[in-house]
Amino acid sequence: MKANLYDIQNIISNCVLQDDKIVLKSDLHNTIGLIKKNYGFDMLKEIIAIDHQKDGIELMYRLYSTENEEDLVISYTLSTSNEAESVTDIFSSAIADEREIYDLFGVNFLNHEDLKRLYMSENWQGNPLRKDYEQNN
Amino acid sequence: MNNSRLKLNLGPQHPSTHGVLRLVLDLNGEKITACEPDVGYLHRGMEKMAEKLSYIQYLPLVDRIDYLAGFFYSELFCRSIENALEIELSNRIKAIRVMLLELNRIASHLLWIGAFLMDLGAVSPFFYAFRERELILQYFEKISGQRMMNNYFVFGGLRHDIFDLDDVEEILRILPEKIIDYENIITENPIFIQRTAQKGILEASDAINYGITGVNLRTSGFNFDLRKTDKLYDGYEFDTVVLENKDSWGRYKARVLEIKESIKIVAQAVANIKTNTIYEATKIKPVNLTIPEGEYCSEIEAPRGLASCFIISDGNKAPYRLKWRTGSYYAVNLLRKLLVGTYINDAIAIAGSLDIILPEVDK
Repeated sequence: MKANLYDIQNIISNCVLQDDKIVLKSDLHNTIGLIKKNYGFDMLKEIIAIDHQKDGIELMYRLYSTENEEDLVISYTLSTSNEAESVTDIFSSAIADEREIYDLFGVNFLNHEDLKRLYMSENWQGNPLRKDYEQNN
Repeated sequence: MNNSRLKLNLGPQHPSTHGVLRLVLDLNGEKITACEPDVGYLHRGMEKMAEKLSYIQYLPLVDRIDYLAGFFYSELFCRSIENALEIELSNRIKAIRVMLLELNRIASHLLWIGAFLMDLGAVSPFFYAFRERELILQYFEKISGQRMMNNYFVFGGLRHDIFDLDDVEEILRILPEKIIDYENIITENPIFIQRTAQKGILEASDAINYGITGVNLRTSGFNFDLRKTDKLYDGYEFDTVVLENKDSWGRYKARVLEIKESIKIVAQAVANIKTNTIYEATKIKPVNLTIPEGEYCSEIEAPRGLASCFIISDGNKAPYRLKWRTGSYYAVNLLRKLLVGTYINDAIAIAGSLDIILPEVDK
């Protein structure tokens, strides 16, 4: 597991290794595509979004390799524009994950085929899982 | 009916949508050309509530994420806390948990069998399946006071020790005969085969791409069962059911076979409970409980596929962020692909075969 992580870190220049997860600085879409193609991480278990308030919103991609039976976590922190490239063309399961994050965190995924509210109604104000969300909205 | 296009709204109150799933289908004649699932009718804000409640206040809620498999989500949440506090469970408690989880899996699969057959228009299997499920639910009620949302697991153990194991042995005696009945009545029934065989074909590569796990993935010929690597199941002998059918019929057969495997596990768990007689009450004091700062992720093989609970703690009484991963959520997303190209009269049978349960999707 470790060796594989260092291997990936050496080949992909725009990332650092931090407590068993790969922290990406840029080029999210291409890097995830590369990791899927070259290292066999063919399942995206889930995308987890975390609102770190002034440190921005972090997206954690939990990848899994069905062949080697190992997990890989890729972390990517958004800039203040709250925009990320969609990975739906790489993993179809991301269609659901990204819609949920768009709904609950207000992250705008570029090139997503069907980006709209999932749980909340279309005219809902605010994004409930953001830390600055006010419940009385 | 050539080239006659129609947008058809299916649900959310349709009895075959197993709760409140709405599908918007684009039809060309009777052929489905596009499917858009619409969810959220049962959204309770489970993840938001977690951030506002202390761990012990949140514990009774987690059963409600999937009310047909409540024990699994209790186990998942308790396991995350136990991992964070580095607590090892005693053998008796582990065995009791395995027994209850597998009984829960049987109950969940039985309900699915009944509901699926009902979707196809066969009413009586529903009553047979519920008759057997009732035995399990009555046992759950006896030990926990609740039939479905049991709230029986607590951090580091159980609410209290288990009793009346004879009831479980009685269930183990009755169930195998009844499963043979199901197989005689349903499995090779020509009408049933016509409605399900070669319908809703799911290739393993597509399943993996769509994040499908559990029985649905295993019926596509791919061996993926978390129980084989789960420490809780150490020492239990059972086979993972992997079929090459890829269709709705296969998904039915796999669930029936899985019930048989679960019966094996329950029998072993009962034996383990009998040999490990010492019950240790939990040492964790739940009031004002905090867990160390950090990220904790735990996974379990739930009846509807891989389920996981991810907690970020900042050391406070409530988690900073809590995320659930549930199997059905991805199965609903799969309908976008799986229903396209099929006929409207197969849509219910295909959607039903994936075992979608909506509270799990909406969270």
